[in-house]
Amino acid sequence: MSTTNWNGRWFHLRKVLERGGPLAHPDFQASNETLNFLLDNCKILVVGAGGLGCELLKNLALMGFRQIHVIDMDTIDVSNLNRQFLFRHVDVGKPKAEVAANFINERIPLANVTPYYAKIQDYDQDFYSGFHIVVCGLDSIIARRWINGMLISLLTYEEGELDPSRISCQQMYSHADHFVLTAFSFALLCGSIIPLVDGGTEGFKGNVRVILPGMNACIECTLDLFPPQINFPLCTIAHTPRLPEHCIEYARLLQWPKENPFGEEVAIDGDDPNHISWIYEKALQRANEYGILGVTYRLAQGVVKHIIPAVASTNAVVAAACALEVFKLASTCAPKLDNYMVFNDTDGIYTYTYAAERNESCVACSQIPKDLFFHENARLSEVMEHLSTTYQMKSPGVTTTDKQGRNRTLYLPNVSSIEERTRPNLKKTLKELELKDGAQLIVADVTSPNAIEFHLKLHAQMDT
Amino acid sequence: MASPSPKSPGQISDKSKKYDRQLRLWGDHGQAALENASVCLINATTTGTEILKSLVLPGIGSFTIVDGALVSGEDAGNNFFLDHTKIGKPRAHVATQLLMELNADVKGDYIEETCDQLLSNNPDFFCTFSVVIATGLTEKSLHSLSTNLWQNNVPLVVCVSYGFIGAIRLQVSEHCIIESHPDNLLEDLRLDKPFSGLKEFMETIKLSEMDHKQFSHTPYLMLLYKALEIWREKHDGNLPSNYKEKQILKDIISRELGCGIVKEEDVNTGGEENVVEAIKAVNTALNKTQIPSSVQKILSDDQCIHLKEKNPFWIVARGVKEFVEKEGNGALPLRGSLPDMTSDSQRYIALQNVYREQAAKDAEHVWRHVQLILKERGWSSESVMENDVKLFCKHSSELRMIRGSSLAAELDGKQLPGDVDINQQLEEPDSPWLHYLLLRAVNKFHTENGSHPGYYDDNVETDIAKLKGCFSRLLNDLGCQGGSLSKDDNLHEMCRYGAAELHAVAAFIGGCAAQEVIKLITKQYVPLDNTFIFNSVTTTTATLRL
Amino acid sequence: MIKLFSLKQQKKDEVPGRAGNQKKASAAQLRITKDINELNLPKTCQMEFPDPDDLLNFKLIISPDEGFYRGGKFSFSFKVGPGYPHEPPKVKCETQVYHPNIDLEGNVCLNILREDWKPVLTINSIIYGLQYLFLEPNPEDPLNKEAAEVLQTNRRLFETNVQKSMRGGYIGSVFFERCLK
Repeated sequence: MSTTNWNGRWFHLRKVLERGGPLAHPDFQASNETLNFLLDNCKILVVGAGGLGCELLKNLALMGFRQIHVIDMDTIDVSNLNRQFLFRHVDVGKPKAEVAANFINERIPLANVTPYYAKIQDYDQDFYSGFHIVVCGLDSIIARRWINGMLISLLTYEEGELDPSRISCQQMYSHADHFVLTAFSFALLCGSIIPLVDGGTEGFKGNVRVILPGMNACIECTLDLFPPQINFPLCTIAHTPRLPEHCIEYARLLQWPKENPFGEEVAIDGDDPNHISWIYEKALQRANEYGILGVTYRLAQGVVKHIIPAVASTNAVVAAACALEVFKLASTCAPKLDNYMVFNDTDGIYTYTYAAERNESCVACSQIPKDLFFHENARLSEVMEHLSTTYQMKSPGVTTTDKQGRNRTLYLPNVSSIEERTRPNLKKTLKELELKDGAQLIVADVTSPNAIEFHLKLHAQMDT
Repeated sequence: MASPSPKSPGQISDKSKKYDRQLRLWGDHGQAALENASVCLINATTTGTEILKSLVLPGIGSFTIVDGALVSGEDAGNNFFLDHTKIGKPRAHVATQLLMELNADVKGDYIEETCDQLLSNNPDFFCTFSVVIATGLTEKSLHSLSTNLWQNNVPLVVCVSYGFIGAIRLQVSEHCIIESHPDNLLEDLRLDKPFSGLKEFMETIKLSEMDHKQFSHTPYLMLLYKALEIWREKHDGNLPSNYKEKQILKDIISRELGCGIVKEEDVNTGGEENVVEAIKAVNTALNKTQIPSSVQKILSDDQCIHLKEKNPFWIVARGVKEFVEKEGNGALPLRGSLPDMTSDSQRYIALQNVYREQAAKDAEHVWRHVQLILKERGWSSESVMENDVKLFCKHSSELRMIRGSSLAAELDGKQLPGDVDINQQLEEPDSPWLHYLLLRAVNKFHTENGSHPGYYDDNVETDIAKLKGCFSRLLNDLGCQGGSLSKDDNLHEMCRYGAAELHAVAAFIGGCAAQEVIKLITKQYVPLDNTFIFNSVTTTTATLRL
Repeated sequence: MIKLFSLKQQKKDEVPGRAGNQKKASAAQLRITKDINELNLPKTCQMEFPDPDDLLNFKLIISPDEGFYRGGKFSFSFKVGPGYPHEPPKVKCETQVYHPNIDLEGNVCLNILREDWKPVLTINSIIYGLQYLFLEPNPEDPLNKEAAEVLQTNRRLFETNVQKSMRGGYIGSVFFERCLK
């Protein structure tokens, strides 16, 4: 018995991976290759190493996945310890991704968890295209939308149709010594589709969804499923408070910027007890003036930090459901979730599974990027002309994105201050504008409900 | 009772920082209950340790693992709390050590014996626990355990993760909940039966004497009240009940109340915010004051009427019942809270105080009833605290009670619950009843053969046939004529699983079961009643009542 | 289920470097580009983009041609965050103004900036909302209570105060900078 591959180690997984059955998925072929694929090849990215992330890492590592990468920009806080079970008191202040990865790698032999103590935005398409499946355990809508957009941007299309195989056959064969090409594996090939499994929790409620970018409802399609931020009217806060929350918001929004209690330009730090205390005292004062009950330090901190209640059990449930979906997607040993499950265990245990529908005019996934073929010496004005004639646009505005992911405005006709300064671009060639082959152009026009994405296809020779 | 929550940073303990995110759900008093509780886990299976993990993290008082087995290679490959370096060591000990690392506040203990050994050598052993959790037990052992705990009134949670299927069975003879935290609670405003304090207060409000600014900052509740007065005059004191009548009431709100105060153009542009809120509230705030059926069930329960034992819940419930029959005129004690509404601060707070004061009065009445009840029975006057009564009254419209059934009786039963048409259920491919019966058939197989169907790779085919026999005999035992329905595919699938405990299925069941245990301990939120089935092939769940 | 990838499929092993190839515009970026390109400004409003490449931070200048504030010139700063349009932009008034719905710190009480914001609303909706505040200051739900009370009790005095503040001068103890065109 080796210390890393002892007898019986994969006993439980082998049952469902190496045995077929009439109810197994039709595409599923029982064999030991599936487990080997999970162990050796299948690369998973876990986004977030918090409540869900810790659970996901453990679940995936015990479900046969080894090539796991985890990214999180946060460090560990005391209030994480009631559920983020890979962290201990001594870890407070250290990067979540690193501590979590170390823990798993130590506990589970041959687990190969690679941590990234970074923002998701620090990485590009090269990075994200390296994974078979991405699974998100995030509390931020912005981050979810970003990952969603990133995975959609990785889709490759041919003749306007979704192309599930990204890498050409030639490339496949050039690596043929690594592969045994069976009819089965040939049909699967490499997907440009990277499935996104997304989990979320709030108190005793949670949700799990499986997104196949470009094929079913994406994060942006169903943006209204996220509860809107609660913002109290400013005039209520200023003059007619009725709730303890109104008093806290008064201290936060109106008194703090006026009094700058900790110095000019010092923003409120929700983790600094002195800051929260200041807010709490001011709020309490105001509440007493009006006879409002219920201002507590805990509530003050909750309102200031937008704290979402969280408990170990819900995280465990949602992360387990996410890990099961990753397992089913990677192994095809059972059908995947189609495509959304909500969970709530306040009154018994309730779940509801349904297929969330795509939004036909989704800003992120409804459009297939179009190619624009131009010579590198063509001027921007020719591109504008082309958009007006071929696409019958009225007054298109065109932007692109620089290497840092920032916007670069090429020409916007409708705002005079921008128009004046971008007008000179019209006379410049695409080369002079430093637009490279494959550059993304964002075109907004009244004729379309969304900004449209184009890919610039540049050539240097007139005859190609 | 509720300990006061921290007021300033100096008072914030490290504990309340650590538990901050959950204290916002079950409060300091829920946490105190959790910290005073002790649970017992029978068998440190993956499902079992995953349950304990979600109990140790939030700070359960103590846990004890009862397990006579040694760590196997199969265990170490699947269980996060059984390290491969400890293969061959006692499972109870290894799991206890690794679980205790999760939270220094939690005490852990272990007993290297099987459940059966303990039951026969020390039958009172389990009585001291707040909840007992059982995994990986045979049907026979479960039967004995269930009987023991049912007699001793200790809640039992039985969990299974079997291939892609998971299940939880909760056995609790009686469980009463004051704070059920419903997601959608109807407002308790008593507009149909205004109490005297509200009437008096409303009489001081004279809409016609207001200027525009005052009118537009009048809480909608006052507008609604005034509109109802006008309506009642014309309709013999009844509330508007149907759509048409509610439309008329809305018209009164939008046209009559602000007459002469609100300018015509304001009405046309959608009107004042409070008027808009009042119109909306016609549909939401105009509830008939009545006792919800789940609460009525409690008030008319035998326990409430006869008070057989000195149980604070039932004593206060009885006090509430007497309040309802006397001072309450058929209504529960007032909740005493108001929804937020557009208003100036002063009048909103004043109105809020009217409700608060009445709620305090109602609770005071209940408190007096309770004291009398205690006195009549010669029970200590400290059996119930006044704050408990206040809490009870505040939540009296959300009270819940679960009366469960014995698992042993279920296993002995000759039929399924009366309302279940099993033949019809079995026609549906993914019926939760089918999965319930399949799990029972698997146990039957184990009882008869000493191993689970499909456990050994070589026997899968023959086990399918054997399991088929178990399944049809089970149906016969339960008096079902299910013979015509072939469930071969499902039986084959169960044999494919071969007792595999998939980590993620165990983790799902573990999270769910842990929360059920927390509900039982904190007496907040509503536990499962009583059998939960998770099908991770379809990613669906269902609750069955057995 | 479509076949997403082969068991044999190898994803590249090397840990890729950061920010190599072309970055993609975010959903918020796509949406704001659309909003900005389709601005339909009332003639009293003007937009200023200090940096034409930065569509997330800009200024709006309102120069009312009727009402109490005719002849004045008021500047608002807009900050559009990555949560747009799930979250509204942050808008502040940079000109000190004697106005019932704008306080002396530049906070603006406009429902669609806070409690009534919806993702279907656009930058244009906010511009129209702000413009309306200058045509119809609303004393019912004030931020500057003093101004609101004057407007409610003595419109003539309110008008005088507005004029005085725009020319530059004291109203009570508060000094207002000149903001006439």
